[in-house]
Amino acid sequence: MTDALVVSGLTKTYRGAGRGPRVVAVDGISFTLAAGGSLGVVGESGSGKTTLAQMIVGLAEPDSGTVVIDGRDRRDLRRGRRARLQRATEAQMVFQDPYGSLDRRLDVAGALADTLRRHGTPKDRIARDVAALMDRVGLASRLANSRPHELSGGQRQRVAIAKALAIDPTVLVLDEAVSALDVSVQAQILTLLDEIRAESGVALVFVSHDLAVVGQVTDQILVMYRGRAVETGDTDQVLRRPEHPYTEMLLSSAPGPRWQPERVAELRAALAAAT
Amino acid sequence: MTQNSAAAPAVRPLTGRTGRRRHNAWTVRLCAAILVLVVAVAVLAPWITPYDPYLADFGSLWLPPSPDHWLGTDQLGRDMLSRLIAGARQTMLGAIALLALATVVGVTVGITAAWQRGWVDAVLGRVTDVMFAFPGLLFVILVIAVFDSGTGTAVVGMALAYAPAIARFTRAVALDELARPYIASYRLQGAGGLVICVRYLLPNMVSTLLGYLVVLFGEGLMSLAALNFIGFGAQPPSADWGLMVAEARNGVIQGYLGPALVPGLTIAVVVVATNVVGLHLSDKLAVRK
Repeated sequence: MTDALVVSGLTKTYRGAGRGPRVVAVDGISFTLAAGGSLGVVGESGSGKTTLAQMIVGLAEPDSGTVVIDGRDRRDLRRGRRARLQRATEAQMVFQDPYGSLDRRLDVAGALADTLRRHGTPKDRIARDVAALMDRVGLASRLANSRPHELSGGQRQRVAIAKALAIDPTVLVLDEAVSALDVSVQAQILTLLDEIRAESGVALVFVSHDLAVVGQVTDQILVMYRGRAVETGDTDQVLRRPEHPYTEMLLSSAPGPRWQPERVAELRAALAAAT
Repeated sequence: MTQNSAAAPAVRPLTGRTGRRRHNAWTVRLCAAILVLVVAVAVLAPWITPYDPYLADFGSLWLPPSPDHWLGTDQLGRDMLSRLIAGARQTMLGAIALLALATVVGVTVGITAAWQRGWVDAVLGRVTDVMFAFPGLLFVILVIAVFDSGTGTAVVGMALAYAPAIARFTRAVALDELARPYIASYRLQGAGGLVICVRYLLPNMVSTLLGYLVVLFGEGLMSLAALNFIGFGAQPPSADWGLMVAEARNGVIQGYLGPALVPGLTIAVVVVATNVVGLHLSDKLAVRK
């Protein structure tokens, strides 16, 4: 199996506020992801995971390092329509905010038709493809003429996923895509993502702060702490036997039946002392 | 070009803590009705003037209102009602042309600045600031001094004077809109900058811009009238309202108030009506957001 996504040495720093020091958001992240694979990127707020996601899809420029999708370097300077459309088929993204990521003027069918048209679906096939996409992400056909404000959060994320699928990308990046949804809806969306991955062979990069969610949907995991990858490996293994103290702390941070806030505080103090 | 002082009245959504609108519903309806009436009169003007608005009759100067001349006649014996009706068309057309031109320039500059950021934004921002330093009327008089007086020059000059305010407002609204993920999503889909700005960004801004533009319409109408009054815009025998006030002002000393007062009051009423309707629109749209 070829590698769908190869990330090597990706680094990005932001200028600090005012004359403050430069902030290293992402520091030398490397990983590979096979076609049809799925990688979870976890970390706390400020760990750099969103910046990493943005660099993969091309919404942020890396300072150094490369992103290669399907053997093509993303830092491709070709301009023009064809190059843009080509790049679009490499990576798509589903955003956290389910309301803001949809154009409030377009209804579901309109948004999907617009996407299909942009990528060259012939006119006579658009209606059929729109219906197929809606069916595939589990949107009832009666919602075809609903605008975003008439949809629930889960439905909106389904539309966002359908828009991404309309382009049939090699890599789909989900940036906290289920964080704004309640737990039962989260589960439905995660199941949907699993199905889609199995059907289409799209590679998923799943960015989240929620280890339980990542555990459910990914095979591989990458734990980020202050811009660095502190632990990588099979999701099952990392979640069951974390090696890095940060991962352990993240795991014990999640509230649950055996949650011990004192233990989390202890781990965090130890971590701060170590770094 | 950071904040938009010019935009403040249009975006301030509510007054008071109770969240009530600034004007009650009947005021708004009355003002809307006035605007509809004026627009209708302006459209129908050539067919509904009872007399030729330019026909002088030296046998009937300064006539008071009568069944023959509902609003009397002016210093040349022309029927005031006919001139007011013909003037509605001229005045509205002038204000519409002014606003349309100012909007095209202002919105283009504002969106370009917001989309490009960086040095383009900085340059456009400085140019806008310099324009702001000039009082609008002074700028127009400069333009007219360089070119020629006349309605066309006045409208173009005024449009350029109004464009910076629209550009600032548009830029602020566009920056806010561009930060939303749906724009990033269009970029990821491979849509070009022009397509994103024109086909997606602009329609999503229309509702926010509309109230502001209606208020500006009233302001523009008044500025044009002022310009015509001081003789830099429309020239006699045009029936423009501002010019009518200017031409009839000698009569005021002789005790003939009507010919100056009628167009003057009409200007005031129309400007107030557009303000009320414009602010109401921005309130409503701001509340909906």
